[in-house]
Amino acid sequence: MSKHTDIIIIGGGIIGNATAYYLAKKGLSVTVLEASKDIGIGGSSRNGGGVRQSGRDTRELPLAMWGIKNLWPGLSEELGVDVEYIQKGNLRLGKTEAHQKILQGLTDKAVSCGLDVRMIDGDEIRAINPYLSDEVTCASWCPTDGHANPLTATLGYYKKARELGVRFITESPCFELRKIKGVIRQVVTPDAIYEADKILVAAGYDSRRLLATVGIDVPMKPMKMECLVTEAEPPMFLQMLGTAEADFYGHQSKHGSFVFGGSSGLEPFNKDNGTPISSSIGASCTCRGIMKYFPALADAKIVRAWAGWLDDCADKVPVISPVEEVPGLYIACAFSGHGFGIAPAAGYNIAEMMVDGQSIIDLSALRYDRFKPKQ
Amino acid sequence: MKSINDRSQDIGPFVSQTDDGVIICRCEEITKGEIRQAIHDGMFTVNEIRRYLRSGMGLCQGQTCGRLVKNIVVQELDVIPAQLDPATSRSPMRPVEMKVLGNEEVTHV
Amino acid sequence: MKRYDLIVVGAGPSGLSAAIEAARCGLTVAVFDENAKPGGQLFKQIHKFFGSKEHQAKIRGYKIGETLLSEADAVGVKVFLNATVSGMYMDKEILVRRGDAMEHCKADAIIIATGASENMVTFDGWTLPGVIGAGAAQTMMNLYSIQPGQRVLMLGSGNVGLVVSFQLMQAGCEVIALVDASPRIGGYGVHASKIARCGVPFYLSHTITKAEGPDCITGVEISQVDDHFTPIPGTQKHFDVDTICMAVGLSPMSQLLKMAGCSMIDDPRRGGQVPLVDENGETSIPGIFAAGDVSGIEEASSAMIEGRMSGLSAAAYLGFLSEKDKDSSLNELEVALNSLHQGMFAPGSKGKAFTKTDEGIAVSQSLLKKGYLDEADIARFNHFDKKSGVHPVIECTQNIPCNPCQDACPKDCIKIGKTITALPRIDADSTCTGCGMCVASCSGQAIFLVDEDYEPGYASITLPYEFLPRPQKGDLGTALSRSGQPLGVAEIIDVRSAKAFDHTTLVTMKVPVAQAMTARFYKREAQRAEL
Repeated sequence: MSKHTDIIIIGGGIIGNATAYYLAKKGLSVTVLEASKDIGIGGSSRNGGGVRQSGRDTRELPLAMWGIKNLWPGLSEELGVDVEYIQKGNLRLGKTEAHQKILQGLTDKAVSCGLDVRMIDGDEIRAINPYLSDEVTCASWCPTDGHANPLTATLGYYKKARELGVRFITESPCFELRKIKGVIRQVVTPDAIYEADKILVAAGYDSRRLLATVGIDVPMKPMKMECLVTEAEPPMFLQMLGTAEADFYGHQSKHGSFVFGGSSGLEPFNKDNGTPISSSIGASCTCRGIMKYFPALADAKIVRAWAGWLDDCADKVPVISPVEEVPGLYIACAFSGHGFGIAPAAGYNIAEMMVDGQSIIDLSALRYDRFKPKQ
Repeated sequence: MKSINDRSQDIGPFVSQTDDGVIICRCEEITKGEIRQAIHDGMFTVNEIRRYLRSGMGLCQGQTCGRLVKNIVVQELDVIPAQLDPATSRSPMRPVEMKVLGNEEVTHV
Repeated sequence: MKRYDLIVVGAGPSGLSAAIEAARCGLTVAVFDENAKPGGQLFKQIHKFFGSKEHQAKIRGYKIGETLLSEADAVGVKVFLNATVSGMYMDKEILVRRGDAMEHCKADAIIIATGASENMVTFDGWTLPGVIGAGAAQTMMNLYSIQPGQRVLMLGSGNVGLVVSFQLMQAGCEVIALVDASPRIGGYGVHASKIARCGVPFYLSHTITKAEGPDCITGVEISQVDDHFTPIPGTQKHFDVDTICMAVGLSPMSQLLKMAGCSMIDDPRRGGQVPLVDENGETSIPGIFAAGDVSGIEEASSAMIEGRMSGLSAAAYLGFLSEKDKDSSLNELEVALNSLHQGMFAPGSKGKAFTKTDEGIAVSQSLLKKGYLDEADIARFNHFDKKSGVHPVIECTQNIPCNPCQDACPKDCIKIGKTITALPRIDADSTCTGCGMCVASCSGQAIFLVDEDYEPGYASITLPYEFLPRPQKGDLGTALSRSGQPLGVAEIIDVRSAKAFDHTTLVTMKVPVAQAMTARFYKREAQRAEL
């Protein structure tokens, strides 16, 4: 088989898979190189499944809104895999005046971008979700937000892209990118050198090491975050939930299990042993956070907890960008823990950008060269 | 040795078998046929199948079906068992109520 | 944070053995086990163990468990029960569920001895209630005194399947058949013979093709399989059963090790996913050890030795034991372990088909296919020149590591020699007094006392009997052949039990002299009151 395709994507996560799918749909030949043994084993399948617009930075909000309007509703049908997309709103919860302030600030910014989101009080919150404790006094409410299944969405894009002829190679860690005559051309792996006219680096935090091989940097750091899942429970509510304090977030999945993420506050300092191993305190801490909001879940059994690395960007917003300094090179990384919900839109727009030179949504605020030192 | 890394390789068409209806993952009620179909959808590893179908994600965490799923992949892809990693192991090793898991003595890490 | 020198996860044979050795060296040791009772599988093992004295041969598993527990107690090991280790994290930390709270504990060394879980095979209806693991059946019977069912079909002829089949019968169940896809019985021939002589048929090269029943098991269909283990159409057989027991192997419960980041390998010879360990049981993470079934499926005797080795290694790792002392202790244990790893059933012999014993005698094919020795086998293996009077007949024809019979005889009638796997020989110069110690000491219940001259025309046969109720002197019942076929009336002429026999009753029956070398079991006739 030829080692040359029109495009190489480095990273078999949801960004890589979705981009591969939209590129293949346009008729391009694509190779996806995945370093690990499994497709979608990184953050793509370790996140809490939020498909949110509210709470986002205004620079990425247009992409989120466009995806929710244009891609998510028909995604299961398009991929032939149930991605379990539920659009029943997002409640971002608060209990204190400080929380109220944080939520109000986020809400004001989103409204300015045209998002339907507003602050609601305790009574209205419990009218939407009667299981919430009385401690919850305020929330931002965005009725067009929702959630989906990150596992089937990631693998659904993979399945569909593969059907369209995209070549996926796993266990293919990339050592370096190489330019030929000033233009990006090759990807060096232990087994082969792959060639393409254009290359997308969508390898999470590992993108930083790869980009360095052609002299490009994205300021980000890895951060280990944790999630957990309960056994299946009777259906309780359909909203996506978050909190002002970010002590937990999550939803009830179609399967009935609750998927929650949370933070202990020590995440920036978490260590690992080369694998995203759970910490001994993360799941317990998240449980306490959840029970403060949902006393009714106290008896729900946790069946599994896991950790994953975020590619945490210096300004908490992704880099989705062509790299003019290295012609033919594109970057999609630094999603900072909120990439899942915008992944379809990102994949679609990156494909547009790579083929037509112009994405539908203006992504110039997400350029790789936006990071400037203090003046 | 045949590699499973090239996901474009031809593994032949999906041909239904008489025992496709047998349940393999009891917790999530996933059948052999569903697992075989997932392999033909491109899910070549135990982790991918697990994430695609939920096999091994139930209360027993794959204690019973892990081995069975692996054997199906071995058969379907005609590879040797050592080429396939078992699914990831995750805490808690046994299901535990949220109120219990949250009830820890919090100490210095 | 609770801290110990050593944490052991799992209070089974290997975990307790490890803890005891480490505590003896001066370590503070905590053992955590999720079960309500310690001892792992030992307390379900009501049969006598094989091996030699140092392996606690001829002692019943639960007794070994009791001894381990009292030793652990004596050396100050803290055993926490109902204590589920929920995860193993970085820096040798575990999170333990105890009651309705979680406890964090750290240690400078951790030994994982979590054992194994039962494998399943699938067939139509395998998820119906009534399909259980053999280990589960053993738990029900021997820990909770619950009969798993009335009519049981056992799948799997390894030692677990054989031993549990016997225990099912002891618990009053009827074992309808023993089925295995392999063309040969996988476990010890002596275990198979115990079942065969009760009349249980073996179906080798067969597998279950269907479990029948609307919402629980009412029957089972088995079929013969071809060389590729595929069922052959038209060979179906049906049995009415209410329980199907599966003894189709074990998988190491190595999840904690994997979670903690220890390097793992898939090794079919060791039962599946196991940690990479060095000769002392140390994993790829310094200070984390694995012992017992979790590092490769074997049996309890090996697990105890491996446990002791890892306990000593942990002690040395933490400076409680000099390298020199460690090495000398480990060498001794290595020798003991190696002696268990010999013979036809040694880990290295898996899958090998032996045609001859170490002594050069052709192995019994009947034993491998049907579970009992045929007459030609008996002739081949019995070199005893019959003198008048009572004498032992030893029907032990496979090279297995076991020698209690040699020590049992006060007259030194029985010789095995230094090689623990050698077949026992009867010393023609010694005089048998008929004391029965050999009969009771044989863990395989393969020794009988025969007296062809008991009465004119009648022989007496003394056999080991482990069923209740015991026959009474004067009872009339049926003598059964090695295959469980009724041979005729047998009269009980003696029933002996003694502390030294350890619950094995010696039953002596009188049969026509022609049956002296064919009758090997006694079937009680139902007493009037039971009818």
